[in-house]
Amino acid sequence: MTDYPIDEIFRRAKLGELAVYPPKDEFGYNVFGADVYTKPRRFLLLDDIVLLPPQFTPERLEKGIELLREPLYTDVSTETSVGGFRVRMPVVCAAMGGTHIANLIGPKIAKGCAEMGVVYSLGENIAAIRGYDERLTNQPSFKERALAYLENLKDGYGGLVIQQSVEDENLKLWEKVYTDPDFDQYVEEGLIAFEIKAGQGAKPGLGGEVLVSREVALRIKDHYYIPEDPEKVVKDYYERHSAPGTFTEDILASQIRLIKNNFPRVKVFLKTGPYRDLDRVIEIASREGVDAITIDGKEGGTGMSPIAGMRDLGLPTVACLGAIARARDRGIRTSLIISGRLYDGSHVVKSLALGASAVAFGRPLVYACLGSIPLAPTFIKRELFRNPLLRELGKVALKWGVRGEGCTKGVVNYLKSVENEVKMLTSALGKYYMDRLSREDVGALNRDLAELFGIRYVYSAPEATGKVVQRGVELS
Amino acid sequence: MSMSQKLELPLEPHAFAEDIFRIVSHPIMQEVYRFRHLIARAVRDFLDGEGFVEFDPIMIGPVTDPGTRGAFEFRIPYYGREYRLMRSGILYKQLLAAAMEEGKIYFFYPNLRHEPIDAARTGRHLVEFVQIDLEVRDADHFQVMEIAERLLKHVIDEMRRYEDRLRKIWEFFGSERDSLPDVKLPLKRMTHREAVELLMEHAKDDKVIEELESRFGVKRPQDRLSFRAEIPWEWEWYLSKIHEQPFFIHDYPRGARGFYDREYPDKPGILMDFDLLAPEGHGELSSGAAREYEVSRVFARMRETNENPELYRWYLQFLRDHGRPTAGFGIGMERLVKYICDLPSVHLARPAPKIPGVHSP
Repeated sequence: MTDYPIDEIFRRAKLGELAVYPPKDEFGYNVFGADVYTKPRRFLLLDDIVLLPPQFTPERLEKGIELLREPLYTDVSTETSVGGFRVRMPVVCAAMGGTHIANLIGPKIAKGCAEMGVVYSLGENIAAIRGYDERLTNQPSFKERALAYLENLKDGYGGLVIQQSVEDENLKLWEKVYTDPDFDQYVEEGLIAFEIKAGQGAKPGLGGEVLVSREVALRIKDHYYIPEDPEKVVKDYYERHSAPGTFTEDILASQIRLIKNNFPRVKVFLKTGPYRDLDRVIEIASREGVDAITIDGKEGGTGMSPIAGMRDLGLPTVACLGAIARARDRGIRTSLIISGRLYDGSHVVKSLALGASAVAFGRPLVYACLGSIPLAPTFIKRELFRNPLLRELGKVALKWGVRGEGCTKGVVNYLKSVENEVKMLTSALGKYYMDRLSREDVGALNRDLAELFGIRYVYSAPEATGKVVQRGVELS
Repeated sequence: MSMSQKLELPLEPHAFAEDIFRIVSHPIMQEVYRFRHLIARAVRDFLDGEGFVEFDPIMIGPVTDPGTRGAFEFRIPYYGREYRLMRSGILYKQLLAAAMEEGKIYFFYPNLRHEPIDAARTGRHLVEFVQIDLEVRDADHFQVMEIAERLLKHVIDEMRRYEDRLRKIWEFFGSERDSLPDVKLPLKRMTHREAVELLMEHAKDDKVIEELESRFGVKRPQDRLSFRAEIPWEWEWYLSKIHEQPFFIHDYPRGARGFYDREYPDKPGILMDFDLLAPEGHGELSSGAAREYEVSRVFARMRETNENPELYRWYLQFLRDHGRPTAGFGIGMERLVKYICDLPSVHLARPAPKIPGVHSP
């Protein structure tokens, strides 16, 4: 009985409804996620798959003939196309919305992503909470974040993905962007995608849950569900809920058609979550001609998610990759992007080998940014946010810290490390282009995963290659 | 009308910002405005004769229709809330057709739509324009199509009385037309599928593709044809160009239109709606449909178009408690003037036109 969760029950008894969320002091700063995935470990991860370099590398020979020298890992091209965008590497910055940290550092991450030629996404509720072009809070507006990315793009790489939540629809955000002269040039160049948000890793089937300041609560109370009326109850932060949105097969198909019809010059992306009917979602969206589908595994999208959601809702990221592999087997060629606790070059190469077109990074980019501003080590230890007495100080420090270029530099460095890793690992596999990675390049440490992907279980023998005739040995 | 006068009149949208008096006082432009008046009078004569009741437009409300093809809505502050300027009068049309004993109502409805910049290139989109907007209770789309074609024929027949004056306008704008068409009823009707099939056939001709590519600056227009989507602008122009009489396209696929166009109960995915197109490249004059009026269907369709039902509370309550089948259409007034006067662009059919992206008076 010693492991009985007495503390958890105490906590619930004290906090009531609020106990479903991670500890309150982290609210609005909850970029750190929880260690619910690893302690105790209950499901398989991409780390249960390894890369299997071969001795014989005909593609290296091919590359050598092209270069007229022995190829190096630096000869690997990580350039590829994701959802119709040309990208310098198969990485997408996952959508982050209008919450405190995500928004504050948004323009800095955007700039880093532009410099590295990867796709950048703008999540829900940015325009609604922070303002479309004018700042409604002391934080960047939607347009500041969008233009921080678009204006820094170079060499034709990249693309901007814009989500619209049920509540953002009140603002008609997509129509606003589509008719805004400041965006027209980018729309015309094909650098914009609109993304239907139909799910999030850690809380599939739940809507957005965020804490907002009283100032914001008063302004948005007509458009969002806020259980405590900020006019009557005075406190620092209020819960703000938004609807998950109802989908049927018909509704999803029609939403895709409608975007294609109403906004013919943008690309259409779909963001879905770790749902049990994921195969069907991929099938319908592909049939309707979306340009890309982002699938957030249960380890992803932890921002503002209830603890029980992170623990018990949805398919683990590797199981979502299984749906991607099955889609490829069924001939689906749509760009499929995977996310959910993926953060290095190894994850990218494995995901691509299993059929994904790119990997989306959320938290890694936030940490890369925060870890590179002054005071960073303190932030990472969360001390400033954890301790209520120091929290206000932490906010001020963060606000000043992001003004410099450290954050952007951190994001660029982080992406460069991933790029370098992808090149090395791909080269080790004897390949030089992203689209050559395939299931032969990976092996499972676990029989379930081997079966799921139809890949080799590393402790079993490879398929027999026939009887060996050994020469030069005297047989008696 | 001499050539020198013609050369003296700059007609591009920006010119309105330079010297608007010079344009609106030009003898030819005055004639165009007079024809707008004559056409409006002919429309009113016809509809009044059919037993319709005219209403004055309702300009602002808590919600406007969802709009299509990416146009944004204008908003204004309203006693602590935000109200919308009407993109169309569709919601109020249904309300009044259901409420009025006559069951037939119409408006000359000013619409305001913040259109995307690329709509400026079509020669037939304005940010501010007027629709002859009507709705009939207990009717379906086929019944109002009959009204639409009789109305159009009536207007054209009335204008024939002024053909000599029209010829001067046509000549000024370089039109090849020398008489108004003798409209023969019933007008040709084709389904959306039939129209797309016909266009796909024509798309096999390289000359057609070349013309569309150069005229509209699109790449591979043949790839833009789909049975499941709206007919692209360049193809609509082409379809209109190869016709000599106005014609209807009906039964559009769901996904191409707003939630209010009714889906056939026995043909899922196909809408009970239509467009009326003018020939000679003028294209769409009018859109209409039978309306979804059952609240459960409207609610589900609103999700499909990603509308927030919360904003439509009054409308959904009205449908739940008093919803009746209605059907109707709207004819773009400026497009009708453009067609009858054979103007090169719709912005010439209004004295102070608002072209997407152009800051004019």
